[in-house]
Amino acid sequence: MTATTTNVVEAARAIDLVKAYGAGQAQVHALAGVSVRFEASRFTAVMGPSGSGKSTLMHCMAGLDRPTSGQSLIEGTDLTSLGDGRLTELRRDRIGFVFQSFNLVPTLTAAENITLPVDLAGRKVDKSWFDHLVTQLGLANRLGHRPSEMSGGQQQRVACARALINRPALVFADEPTGNLDSNASAELLTFLQHSVAEMGQSIVMVTHDPHGASFADRVVFLSDGRVVDELEAPTADSVLERMRTLGS
Amino acid sequence: MGRVTLKGILAHKLRLALTAIAIILGVTFIAGTYVLTDTLHATFDALVGSIYQNIDFQVRGVAQFPTKDAATATRNPISESLLATVRKVPGVEVAEGTVSGSVQFVAPDGTLIANGGEPTLGVNFDPNPQVSDLRIVEGRAPSAPYDVVMDAATAQKYHFHVAQRVKILSALGTDTFTISGIAQYGSANTLAGVTLAGFTLPTAQRLMQEPRQLSNINIVTRPGTDQAAVGRAIARVLPKGVQVVTGKTVLAEQTSSIDQDLSFFSTALLIFALIALFVGAFTIFNTFSILVGQRTRELALLRAVGATRRQVFRSVLAEAAIVGLLASGIGLGLGVLTALGIEELLRGFGITLPAGALVFEARTVIVSLAVGVGVTVVSALGPARRAVRVPPVAALGDRELDAGFPARRRAVAGAVLFALGVVFLASGLAKPEVSLVGLGAAAIFLGVAILAPTFSRPLASVIGRPFVRVLGVGGRIGRENSIRNPRRTAQTAAALMVGMALVAVMAIYSASASRSTTGSFDSAVRADLIVSTTSSDEAGTVNPGLPHVLASLPGVTASTVVYGGQFEVGQTVEQLKAISSGGLADTIIVHMVSGSLGSLRHGSLLVDSTTARRNHLAVGDPVRVKFALSGPTTMRVGGIYQPNAVIGSYLIGDAFYRSHYADPTPGAVLLDTDGSSRVEMLVRHAVAPYRGLQVQTAAEFKKSETAQVNRVLGLVYALLALAVLIALISIVNTLMLSVLERTREIGLLRAVGMRRHQVRTMIRSEAVILAAFGAIIGLLLGAGLGVALVASLGSQGVTITTVPIAELVAFFVLACALGLGAATWPARRAARLDVLQAIATN
Repeated sequence: MTATTTNVVEAARAIDLVKAYGAGQAQVHALAGVSVRFEASRFTAVMGPSGSGKSTLMHCMAGLDRPTSGQSLIEGTDLTSLGDGRLTELRRDRIGFVFQSFNLVPTLTAAENITLPVDLAGRKVDKSWFDHLVTQLGLANRLGHRPSEMSGGQQQRVACARALINRPALVFADEPTGNLDSNASAELLTFLQHSVAEMGQSIVMVTHDPHGASFADRVVFLSDGRVVDELEAPTADSVLERMRTLGS
Repeated sequence: MGRVTLKGILAHKLRLALTAIAIILGVTFIAGTYVLTDTLHATFDALVGSIYQNIDFQVRGVAQFPTKDAATATRNPISESLLATVRKVPGVEVAEGTVSGSVQFVAPDGTLIANGGEPTLGVNFDPNPQVSDLRIVEGRAPSAPYDVVMDAATAQKYHFHVAQRVKILSALGTDTFTISGIAQYGSANTLAGVTLAGFTLPTAQRLMQEPRQLSNINIVTRPGTDQAAVGRAIARVLPKGVQVVTGKTVLAEQTSSIDQDLSFFSTALLIFALIALFVGAFTIFNTFSILVGQRTRELALLRAVGATRRQVFRSVLAEAAIVGLLASGIGLGLGVLTALGIEELLRGFGITLPAGALVFEARTVIVSLAVGVGVTVVSALGPARRAVRVPPVAALGDRELDAGFPARRRAVAGAVLFALGVVFLASGLAKPEVSLVGLGAAAIFLGVAILAPTFSRPLASVIGRPFVRVLGVGGRIGRENSIRNPRRTAQTAAALMVGMALVAVMAIYSASASRSTTGSFDSAVRADLIVSTTSSDEAGTVNPGLPHVLASLPGVTASTVVYGGQFEVGQTVEQLKAISSGGLADTIIVHMVSGSLGSLRHGSLLVDSTTARRNHLAVGDPVRVKFALSGPTTMRVGGIYQPNAVIGSYLIGDAFYRSHYADPTPGAVLLDTDGSSRVEMLVRHAVAPYRGLQVQTAAEFKKSETAQVNRVLGLVYALLALAVLIALISIVNTLMLSVLERTREIGLLRAVGMRRHQVRTMIRSEAVILAAFGAIIGLLLGAGLGVALVASLGSQGVTITTVPIAELVAFFVLACALGLGAATWPARRAARLDVLQAIATN
């Protein structure tokens, strides 16, 4: 039983996701019924003004938060039906995370941070895959360093390697370049783009930076907890243009 | 600033409450000790006062040996004929002779009646209201030779009534008496647990004294006479060796005797209170360090908006003072409750304290509060100083501040303190002087605690290695967490270090003492069976006729009677043993260094080699000695033997003993037998009628000797458990803070797939590593201190140094288990963190 019959395989899907805070009159909808598909081997950006629900959507789809109603599926598995143990395993084995900051455990070395999900599962590290990632990200001579001994760009690249170490179904990146300068940003985004193109990785990136979004294959726009628009093969200008119309 | 302080306390209620437990326990101990001992004091003083308040003078034998405690001094009896002489002195209205000694009632079930270790008094019953507080409440005074008056408390407890028969054990064995009356002291039915048997004067003399001899004479003067003149007149008619003292003097002697007993008791309890507070101080220091560290930004903000350094300093100290005061107040209350509980406990043992109940002196309140608040504030001084050093700019950044001592200065300070401690300890042990030992130990602990951060990283990392291997990634991160802040690791473990060190000292002391006792008996006793008194009291005696009965039993091949007594050598009173020399070779192992054992028969004095060396004695030397009965004499050293656990330092023959002591008191009978079970049965059968005596095989005897050491040890361990408990609070505090501080980190770990049980494993690993770190340093330190202590006790019979490795390992495992327990709450909290909130935390 597959989740889709189209030639594009689906990595994750949200069906009518609602996330509400508070009750009665004071109730606020962070997500007001979002349905969206994220295809495999594609780089999707989620954009929207602050308060649009883009982070909440990511949290609910990545199994970090539970929606009030609706379903969120990863490779056909409904996350809302899982308990904490299964959900944790799923995050560990099928999802990769890159956060804006505080991505790494300060007491562990770069190498240990990269293999953390594998170690947590008690499995053996795929050495050739590890070497491949490390080489691709230019981290080979940084492996023994602790996070405090690395630049912000290096730290984010370690986080990328960790996100990819388990060959997850989907990588969620939450403003991954938010704390980086433009050079380091470009480097990181190029790598993400490259991992989709060369390794067939699926990535969803939440961002508010039009230039960053232009690295994606597709952009989904959110506003007031709803999907309001989509854009294929975006450029910085086209994204900016859409944002402007959304804002007005 | 005051409001900021209060808000700070409220914001950290939980952590401060945990800290407060340390203070509460220590202060409870102090207050409880004071209230209890003050109460006992007042009780005994009142009782003694009621006994002696009516007496103006007492005539008694001069103390045989100079002693600090006049009330318990050995005195020669005085002649009954003095009574008539004293009565003739003008101004004397009443003069009554008293005879007192120790006898025991036998309960209907055949056991001896004794309320704990309280005296079991026998007296001549003389209810003259002018000299005695004794009142007959039922029946009549004793008039026949086998009449006895019983105290009301004993009668009540064992349901004795007038005209009933009761068995009484005295030095002459067991006899049956008829209860002629029930008596009580004034309004109290008991003298704080003392049992009393009152006889006619001749009976009392027969049971407890020589015929026609009195213990003392109590005198009341005629009203309106010149007291001092009467006293001088009485003194003039007394023979040599008899003195007259005022009733006030007797009262003062009795009171000071009670004071000495009680002050030993209260000192011991106060030492444990101080240990608890000392360990508590480390916990407080740790907690306030953590609070200050945690509030770096808040403090910096205060400084940025204009708070002076002094205001910040005061705010931290004020917080400590308030916590200290609250905790001390609670401790004070609990202390009173504890004392009440102990009073109830005593009542359960049949010791009724008279009404008027608890004595609650101002000193108790002042000392408890002062010590409680003082310890808290002093412990918070260091953290407060660190708070002052927080620069206002720290409010902006989030870098962790570490404004402690520089490593070099820290190492020097720690080493100097440690060295000072060693010097104090060594001189304290050599003297010996308990307070110096305590000071030295405290300095050593502080020194090590200051040094600990310099080696906490490598040591904890080694300790943590097995965790990485066995527990996987949870263990690995736990280990990393335990060493990421070396100073915090060291501070957290310091309290446990002190607790475990003290436990190790006790373990080594008790093992060494037990082994020494066993060893010394092995090399001293050859007998198969030993008959001795059940009470550990030196005064316990075997009925003088019994040894002959035992010696004639079939199967008994040799018997030796060991007598005990005191005599004066040079200027000091010494314990002396006497043995019957027949069959000695089969019962006691005596290794002669020089001279001969046979010289005992010729009235020679034998000494052990240690004593001979100390007093520069050789065989043939004359020794000036003094006996209670016969006065000064010169004895010759007939032989020198190797130190022996059974016969002690000085030994004489039994014939000589009997001619120099009024009432021969055999302390033990050692029997060599054919080894059959029949002879053991016969001996047990022969001893059975004599209550208060026991028959033990050589093995049982040894065991009971070491059991005494272990009984005390059990109590000491229980009290030290308190210190360890306080130490664990330190670990809980640190872990709770770590969980709070690392909320984001834990959130991240959970996000990338750490399961809840792995989070718990991580926190628990950290806790166990902290505990293991403290336990290892503590046990090593304690082993050193214990060996030093044992080495200094060589002259007191602790000659073998034993380090009970298995026991110490068990304590180590226990400490780790307790560390695991301490992690329960923080681990649960960490595992329950909401992933999303944790990530969003700043």
